[in-house]
Amino acid sequence: MIANIIIGAAIFGYATWALVKFVNKSKKGKCAACDLEKSCSSQSQCGIPSK
Amino acid sequence: MFGSFKVGDKGKIINISKVGRLVQRRLLDLGITEGSEVCVKCVMPFGGPVMIESCGQCIGIRRKEACLIEVERV
Amino acid sequence: MEIALIGNPNTGKTSLFNNLTGSYEYVGNWSGVTVEKKVGVFKNHIGRLIDLPGVYSLNPLSKDEGVVTTYFLEEPVDRLLNILDASQLERNLHLTLQLLEYEKPALIGLNMVDVAANRGIQIDTEKLSQILGVPVVPVVARSGKGCDRLIEVISTNSSHSKVKKHVYYGKEVEDAITKLSIELTGKTDHSPRWLAVQLFEENEYVKNYLSNILETAKLESYISDLHSLLIQDNDHVKSLSNYIYLKRKEVIEKILEASVRKVSTVVPLSEKIDAIVTNRYLGMPIFLICMYLMFMLTFDWLGTPLSDVLDGILTGPVTIGVEKLLGAIHASDFIHALIIEGLIAGVGGVLVFVPQIFILFFFISLLEDSGYMARVALVMDRIMESVGLNGKAFIPMMIGFGCNVPGIMAARTIETPRERLMTILLTPLMSCSARLPVYALFVGAFFVGHKALVVLSLYVLGIVVALVLAKIFTKTLLKSETSLFVIELPPYRLPQIQSLWRSTWDKGKGFVRKAGTFIFAGSVFIWLLSYAGPEGLKVDMDNSFLAAIGNLFAPILEPIGFGTWQAAASLITGFLAKEAIISTMNIIYFVPNDASLQGLLSHYYTPLAAYSFMVFILLYIPCLATTATIYKETGSKKWTMFSILYALFIAYVLCLIIYQGGKLVGLV
Repeated sequence: MIANIIIGAAIFGYATWALVKFVNKSKKGKCAACDLEKSCSSQSQCGIPSK
Repeated sequence: MFGSFKVGDKGKIINISKVGRLVQRRLLDLGITEGSEVCVKCVMPFGGPVMIESCGQCIGIRRKEACLIEVERV
Repeated sequence: MEIALIGNPNTGKTSLFNNLTGSYEYVGNWSGVTVEKKVGVFKNHIGRLIDLPGVYSLNPLSKDEGVVTTYFLEEPVDRLLNILDASQLERNLHLTLQLLEYEKPALIGLNMVDVAANRGIQIDTEKLSQILGVPVVPVVARSGKGCDRLIEVISTNSSHSKVKKHVYYGKEVEDAITKLSIELTGKTDHSPRWLAVQLFEENEYVKNYLSNILETAKLESYISDLHSLLIQDNDHVKSLSNYIYLKRKEVIEKILEASVRKVSTVVPLSEKIDAIVTNRYLGMPIFLICMYLMFMLTFDWLGTPLSDVLDGILTGPVTIGVEKLLGAIHASDFIHALIIEGLIAGVGGVLVFVPQIFILFFFISLLEDSGYMARVALVMDRIMESVGLNGKAFIPMMIGFGCNVPGIMAARTIETPRERLMTILLTPLMSCSARLPVYALFVGAFFVGHKALVVLSLYVLGIVVALVLAKIFTKTLLKSETSLFVIELPPYRLPQIQSLWRSTWDKGKGFVRKAGTFIFAGSVFIWLLSYAGPEGLKVDMDNSFLAAIGNLFAPILEPIGFGTWQAAASLITGFLAKEAIISTMNIIYFVPNDASLQGLLSHYYTPLAAYSFMVFILLYIPCLATTATIYKETGSKKWTMFSILYALFIAYVLCLIIYQGGKLVGLV
């Protein structure tokens, strides 16, 4: 019984965390399938005047 | 004129000022300007772009722009 | 200490960056691989290295080049590491001269000395160093030769250039520079001479910067005064920027004369290959054959057998092992179902496609590394031009086959804003690797004999739809005449196995990681929604919450062939990430042990409906990460919304035509 609760809690806990993290990251436009993410510092480009 | 050039023909640019400003700038960046020697490497079908070689580098440009470049054969 | 890595496009800056910092960033053999700045720490921790996009000059034309100028104007640069392509020294030095005017300690890395030597170009580095007044270190960035010496020199040598004035621009210009410099002294941290020269070169970014210090009218008058002065004296002067360019060119010719020796000229192998792949008639067929071979390998010859083996392992030993383990700990029905029907079905269902994804990524890496990418752009230009785009827009689209996000980023190299926006809007129509598992599953179930051909038809359909839409957008929303196409065709390189693997793994690991994080989480919640219903837990799946949600949309999908709640539910999850479609379907159509999902699908879809479904998946919506990237790159909510809505619309209309039309002509 205890094992059931621990496994259930672990899976749902991890799933929630992973989902929240993924959605937050995706919203920033960083894609998990693309490795620009690590050192991507694109915020600094927002100020570039577009011609 | 460049328009009449065939693959393998070589020439020297004598006037590039008729080409669009942006294209001219880009070509300048690549070191192609009046006095540069160019060689036509290939021509794409249906009025497609041409590939030209100048000082060891190859560049693709559109044919209508290439036609505006005045070239004399060498 | 901040060291900026700067040089012409495709001179190997990122290769060198990877070598010096021990990191791994995206490299490729075409101009414009790096479109934003990246920061890394030196292996020996002497400071931070900033990798910048390649530029020909500090006066930018496209947005990725603007990144560099903005960086120079706004951020603290302590030292410059300028990379030169030894085989193209003349044009590389134009940038070097501008950098030296920036008056920060600089160092030159002379890259590709091996390529230059092969072409019979010999460079006297000491002489070059003496003329420019800064250290020059020969390197081969691809193999890492000379990098140790480079780090050594960066660590110890911090002198400014010993030469004060590299270029004398003639009396008129020099006078104007001096006059402007006096006004600027004390008001800016940058070198006044550099600012002045850039201003006279009509650099908009510098002009913007200077207009914070001096009135715009005053700046304008400086430029126009100088311009009229020059025209008066020299009638051959076309424009100020051209005049400055020519002055630099004179200096460069002198430098080259003193330091470069040409031994012999050989016809590079590159040109022989080019004679074939960019051949008048063969170019396009060769490209299509390459694509076809890629899909045959991915779906028929290699990928599918490997996937089947993996599938066998997951549904066989792994499932049995887990079942035993769960039995041993007396797991409840809930946990048992969660793990077997939720996690293993959901995550496993995506993981079995890893071999196919890796094969596809391998080909994309090969394409990027060899130099063929720019040739494809050349071959495609005529078609792209006819729809109002240019051949360069094809590069972001090709990258989009891997993942749409870097594809959209790559659109930065496109010079004109209109074409760039169009490319951003159309790249999501390219079938990214996350959509591939859906195709793999469905072609395996319905089109066994023609797997590769059917998938190729989907990829081509994506391109064709993009082209047709481009034409429509050009005629309606985004009317403009300007179009620019000048592309550098880099010499071919024999890709190294090691870097090819690095690059493949780097792209592929994201897919695996996502399976462990997002797909895991998604599977858990999708399973929960299918397990629970209004009447409590463990309901019949048709009465679950998931079915209720799916049923909301199912009627809309009826006319296009798949009006089931199952299809609707999986499409909704697909917005978060396209892989989720496949894991949702695995959970919904869960089949215990030997019967496979592929077999089961034929009860729910006809081949025609299956094709319609695949087309819908191909087009219907950009995923969340892509949507966010579109927003970031366009900076416009309107265009972002537009990109979602037009995709939904076009997908629906096209599927309607395919399904209803197919039925009319007697297909099932």
